[in-house]
Amino acid sequence: MKKQTLRRCLAAFWWLTLAFLYLPLAVVVLFSFNSANSSARFADFSLRWYHQLMGNEAILSALGNSLVLAIVSALLAMIVGSVFGYGMYRHRRRRLGGLVLLIYLPLVLPDIVFGISEMAFFVQVHEWTGLLSPGLATMIIAHVTFQIPFVALIIYSRLVGLDPALFEAARDLYATPRQRLVHFMLPTFKPALMAAFFLSFTLSIDDFVISFFTAGPESATLPIYIWGAIRKGVSPEINAIAALMIAAVAVAALLSLAFGRRRAR
Amino acid sequence: MSETMTADSAARLDTDPAAEQSARSEAPRKASSIEMQGLHKRFGHDTVALDGIDLNIQAGEFFTLLGPSGCGKTTLLRVLAGLEAPDAGSLAVGGRDITEVPPHRRSVNTVFQSYALFPHLSVRDNLAFGLKMRGLPSTERDARVAEIAAFIQLGDLVERRVDQLSGGQRQRIALARALICEPDVLLLDEPLSALDAGLRGQLQVELLRVQQRLGMTFVFVTHDQDEAMVMSDRIAVLNGGSIQQVGAPREVYERPVNAFVAGFMGHDNLFPVSARDAGRLTTALGELSVEAPGDGTLLLIRPETLDLLPGSVEGRNHLPATVVERLYRGSHAEFRLAVGETHLRAMVSNRGRHLPEVGEALTVTVAPEDLVTLSE
Repeated sequence: MKKQTLRRCLAAFWWLTLAFLYLPLAVVVLFSFNSANSSARFADFSLRWYHQLMGNEAILSALGNSLVLAIVSALLAMIVGSVFGYGMYRHRRRRLGGLVLLIYLPLVLPDIVFGISEMAFFVQVHEWTGLLSPGLATMIIAHVTFQIPFVALIIYSRLVGLDPALFEAARDLYATPRQRLVHFMLPTFKPALMAAFFLSFTLSIDDFVISFFTAGPESATLPIYIWGAIRKGVSPEINAIAALMIAAVAVAALLSLAFGRRRAR
Repeated sequence: MSETMTADSAARLDTDPAAEQSARSEAPRKASSIEMQGLHKRFGHDTVALDGIDLNIQAGEFFTLLGPSGCGKTTLLRVLAGLEAPDAGSLAVGGRDITEVPPHRRSVNTVFQSYALFPHLSVRDNLAFGLKMRGLPSTERDARVAEIAAFIQLGDLVERRVDQLSGGQRQRIALARALICEPDVLLLDEPLSALDAGLRGQLQVELLRVQQRLGMTFVFVTHDQDEAMVMSDRIAVLNGGSIQQVGAPREVYERPVNAFVAGFMGHDNLFPVSARDAGRLTTALGELSVEAPGDGTLLLIRPETLDLLPGSVEGRNHLPATVVERLYRGSHAEFRLAVGETHLRAMVSNRGRHLPEVGEALTVTVAPEDLVTLSE
């Protein structure tokens, strides 16, 4: 009897926590289908704001920027981060503990500090070389920078979980360095690489603060556009953008999880 | 290796497929000898893994590296595989120096302790991996997989996924994956240690038969002296990175050269010699005649060479004893006897005769030719 009560309490707590997490999102999604121009009163179901969205050049361009930024930065981070993760693994026995800690630092650093640092750095580079004026390129570099630690840690944990004799078996069975990459490393790490890519993609789509500090006049992403638009007052159009972003991030996160599952199997 | 490969394939062209098939599976294949000279390997500043290994392994031999963990046996095997580079010394297989040759260009394959089957590949693709890396066309790979599956009797295991295999099955797949490449030398790194005792005995026999049918040179690493004695043509006992003794199993077991080898082979009847007069050695047991006393300072008495006679019997190498402990083991019984100022272990096979009881006084006797001396 008592045990059952406890179990019910726990279940209720679980549902409350979920509600706490998802109710605000549900509100935004709901009002994105509101026919009235109000964020307080729901009138009728309508796709009005989505239609309006499709005709808005600024939003479409911001969406394009967001996608280009997310895909390019995630790809680059996947490559650079994997190499870094592999390096961490190869040298894990040497006394590099302190050095490896350096990779965790960007994970815990406040985004605003990171963003400001990136901006200051790009300004200096631009000052001295004339390259890297604020724009998509600087944003991609900044995003790659904060994605690398995540990728490196995913690849590293995969490597640590792997039988080290597998690398030796590949060498023993006549695989040249190139063949080891193609026939052993890439297939073995494909799930981890995909998981790393989708996580990086999600992080990039999510990011506002770092993008804000490194963006140029032509390279506003969706979050930056929303921020600008909100200053003129919340439009239901913003709800529609938010709903679409929730959907996109959910898909990427689920894909990352799915590949992570396969990796763990 | 490329030379032998082309000669090999040229020879194959001359024979019809059926003859080639039977030649490959029945006739003893060419095997390679291994020569090691002055191999040294050090890890870090003060860990000496190999301390000057000079060893020749003959072609077609089942050779075992035996020793406790940390004795250097696995490092030596890894040097043979090319996975570890020696700091000094040279290594030749089949008369060709391969000290500097990387593992993927050595005709040497390894059965790893963890089996190291690729989890992303099917059993079939695991088996064919080495052949694929060497660029064999897929039709030939399939034929060779079928051939090795018949040879090791893998049955339908070939169609399974790696994660569907049991430990014993993985072991056999790992063996087949290494054998399929027809290496000059096969290395086995404690391949049976992860299996339970029953299965281990079965696979020992299987492995031995495979080696005998192929006539391939096998280098086997183990810390289990029973396994080493069952399997090997010759055994090298290692300790502290150097070889203590090399010899046939009987030689190593019956005539160990020093206390370490004797201890590792399971002997514990070792008695310091306190005085010697020609063929008569004095120990804490008393005085014993030894046929070939040598100049060793320890007397080794193997428990199974002792005879227990009831009552008090006078004669050469007859010592009065009292039973302190008796362990009945079915096929035989082990005794701890109080003899002179010390204890002696004896083993008697159970042929249905009287087995002495604890406290019983008797006479223990040993033939002078069964006694050996060895150094500390």
